[in-house]
Amino acid sequence: MSVTATRGTSGAATALSIVALTEIGSAAFLRQFLLAEDWRVVVGLLGFFAIVLVGLQRLPTVEARIEGAFSAQSRFATLLGIAIVLLFPFLLEKSTYALHLLIIAQLYAVLALALNFQLGSANIPNFATGASYGIGAYASALLALNWDVSFWLALPAAAVVATIFGFVLGVPSMRTRDSYLALVTIAFGVVVHQLLNNLEFTGGPNGLVGIPAPELFGHSFASPLVIFGHSLPSQANFYYLSAALVGVSILFAARLHHSRIGLAWNALRADELAARCQGINATWYKVLAFVVDAFLAGFAGTIYAFYVGFISPDNFTFLVSVTIMTMVIAGGMDNTLGVIVGAFLLTMLPEKLRAFSDYRILFFGVTVIAFLMIRPQGIFPQRLRRYGG
Amino acid sequence: MTEQLVQQLLNWITLGSIYALVAVGFSLLFGVLNIIHFSHGDVSLLAPFLALAAVQTVSASVGGSPAVVAIVLSVLLAVIVTGLLGVVLYYLVIKRFQNAPAMMALVATVALGIVLRELIRHLYPQGSNPHAVPRLVPGSIEVLGVTIPAFNLVAILVSVLSVGLLFYMLERTRLGLHIKAVSQDRDAARLISISPARIFQITFFIASAIGAIGGLFFAGYAGIVRFDFSVDVGLIGFSAAVVGGLGSMPGAIIGSLLIAGLDTLVQATVPNGASYRLVFVFLLVICVLVFRPAGLLGRTIVEKV
Repeated sequence: MSVTATRGTSGAATALSIVALTEIGSAAFLRQFLLAEDWRVVVGLLGFFAIVLVGLQRLPTVEARIEGAFSAQSRFATLLGIAIVLLFPFLLEKSTYALHLLIIAQLYAVLALALNFQLGSANIPNFATGASYGIGAYASALLALNWDVSFWLALPAAAVVATIFGFVLGVPSMRTRDSYLALVTIAFGVVVHQLLNNLEFTGGPNGLVGIPAPELFGHSFASPLVIFGHSLPSQANFYYLSAALVGVSILFAARLHHSRIGLAWNALRADELAARCQGINATWYKVLAFVVDAFLAGFAGTIYAFYVGFISPDNFTFLVSVTIMTMVIAGGMDNTLGVIVGAFLLTMLPEKLRAFSDYRILFFGVTVIAFLMIRPQGIFPQRLRRYGG
Repeated sequence: MTEQLVQQLLNWITLGSIYALVAVGFSLLFGVLNIIHFSHGDVSLLAPFLALAAVQTVSASVGGSPAVVAIVLSVLLAVIVTGLLGVVLYYLVIKRFQNAPAMMALVATVALGIVLRELIRHLYPQGSNPHAVPRLVPGSIEVLGVTIPAFNLVAILVSVLSVGLLFYMLERTRLGLHIKAVSQDRDAARLISISPARIFQITFFIASAIGAIGGLFFAGYAGIVRFDFSVDVGLIGFSAAVVGGLGSMPGAIIGSLLIAGLDTLVQATVPNGASYRLVFVFLLVICVLVFRPAGLLGRTIVEKV
C-alpha cells in the first residue's frame, strides 16, 4: 500500500480514529451484552451484531478500510487493546457473573485457538481437545492436592503432562487420515473420560474437590483485588490471568502462522500429497499440531481447575470437544480474531438466553448445522496469505 | 462351566449381530454417498422410542396390554417411520454436505446427532429419564441343558435375515446393481439414466430402517432405553464399520463380531468391566487402525504421483 506524503498525516489520523472507534465500540458492545438482563435486549444486541456483520459483507470497501487502518496502526491498536482489557473489569459494575462469563469465554478462546492449529491451519479433525483440557486440569489438581505443589509450578507441569498425551495421540495420526483419524481422536476422548470416571485416584464421578486458590506475592486469588483504592471481586484475579493466557496464545498463534511451520500446515491442508512432494515432513508437522494443541489446552485446564476449585469428569466430555470445534468453525477457520469471537459468542449466548437455558445443547447443534450450511467459512473467513510488503 | 461358556458365546453372537445391524448402515452410506453419517446411531435409536410410543397409545385405547399383533405392527411402523426419517434428514441436512470437505460433513452429522438426542429429551414425555423396554420375545428354549432366551435367538435370526436380504439385494437385483453403479461413478450412472438422487434416497431408507431394527434389539437387550444411549450405539457401530474397513459390508460384520467379542470378554472377566468397556473397545480400534489404517478389509488407498 503506497500512501503519498501529502496524505500521510491526515491518513494516519483517520486510521488512528478508525482503530480507536472500532475497539472502543466493540468493548462497549461487549459490556452492554454482558450486563443485559432482559432477553429482549440480548436479542436486540445480537440483531445489531448480525446487521453489522452483514453490512461489512455487503460493503467490502469499508471492511478493507478498517483492516487497512489496523495494519497501518498495529502498534496503537495493540496498546489500546491491552488498555481496554486492563480497564474492562472496572466497567462491569462489580458484576461477578459478568466476570465469570468472561473468564470462561477466555479459557474457551484459548482452547479454540489451540484447536485452530489443527482444524484451521492443517485441516486435521481433532475431537479430543476437551480431553487434553481435562488432562491438564486433573494433572494440576492432583499435584496441588497430593503434593501441595503451588499453582505456578503446577501450571507448566500440567502443560507438559497434557503435551505428552498429545504426543501419544499424535502417533496414530501418522498412519490414519480423515474419518479414520477423527474416530481415533473421538476414541481417545471417550477413553480419557471413562478413565477419569472410573479410576480411584481421580475421585471417580465425584471428581476432585478443594483445589486451593493460587497465590501471588502473598495475595490470594480468592480475595478481592484492590487496585488504586478500587476493589474488584475476586474473579478479577482470574480474569487478568486468563486474559494474559489469551494474549500469549494470540502471540503464539501469530508467530506460528507467519513461520515456516504455519506455512507447512497450510500446505498440508491444501494437499497432503503435494506437500510431501515438496519435501515437507507431513508426519512431523501433524504430530506437532497435536502437541501444540495439547500444550495450550493443558494451560487452560489448569487455570480452570484452580479457578473453579472443583473438577469432575463431566466438565471434559465429548460434548466439550464438539463445542470447541463449533467455536472454530463458527468463528472462522485459521483466523485468530474469528476464532476468539466464535469462542466468546458461543460461551455467552447460551448463558445470556436464559429463557432457553434448558435447550442450550439443542441450540448448539442447530447453530453448528446452520453455520455449516449458510456460512461454512465462519463469521470471519480465512484470509489469503500476504507475501512481501 | 460349559453352561457358562455357551451362555457367553450366545451373548457374543447376539451382541455382534445387533452391532452389525448398525455398522452395516454406516458402511453402506459411506460406500454409496462417501459420507460419514455420524448421527446414524441416533437415527437408529429413534425406533425404540417410536415403538414404545405406539405400543403405549394402543394399550391406552385398548385399556389393557395390547395384542401381539398390535405390538408387531407398532414395531414395523417404527422401523418404516425411522427409515423415512432418515430420508427426510438426508434432504434437510446431509444433502448439502455431499460435495463439501469430509470434515464438514462429519461435524455437521455430529451436530445433527446432538439435535436428535435433544429433541427426544424435550419432546418425548419424560424424555430425560430411562424408559423400561419389555423384552419383545419372552420365554426361553432349553437345548442340551442350557436355557437360551428366545429373545437372543430371534435377535440373531432377524439380524442374519436382514443383512442377508441386504446382501441379496445388493448382489442379485437390478436395484443393487444401480446402487453399486452410483457408488462407483455418479456421473457415469447418470449417463445410463440412473438417478443418483433416487438411489441416495433409497440407500438412506434402507440404512436407517436396518439401523432401526438394530436400535430396537439393542433397547430390548438392555431392557431399557434412554435418549443418550445413541452415543454408545453410534460410536460402537461406527467403530465396527471402521475396524472392518468403511464401505465393506463383510468388514462391518467382522468388525461387529470382533468388538462384541471383546465387549463380552471384558464384561465377563474384568472386575467392574461394564464401566470400562468402551476403553477396551477403543484401544482395539486404535490398535487396528495403527497397523491397518484402512481397516481390516478396507481398500488401501494408493496414490500415484
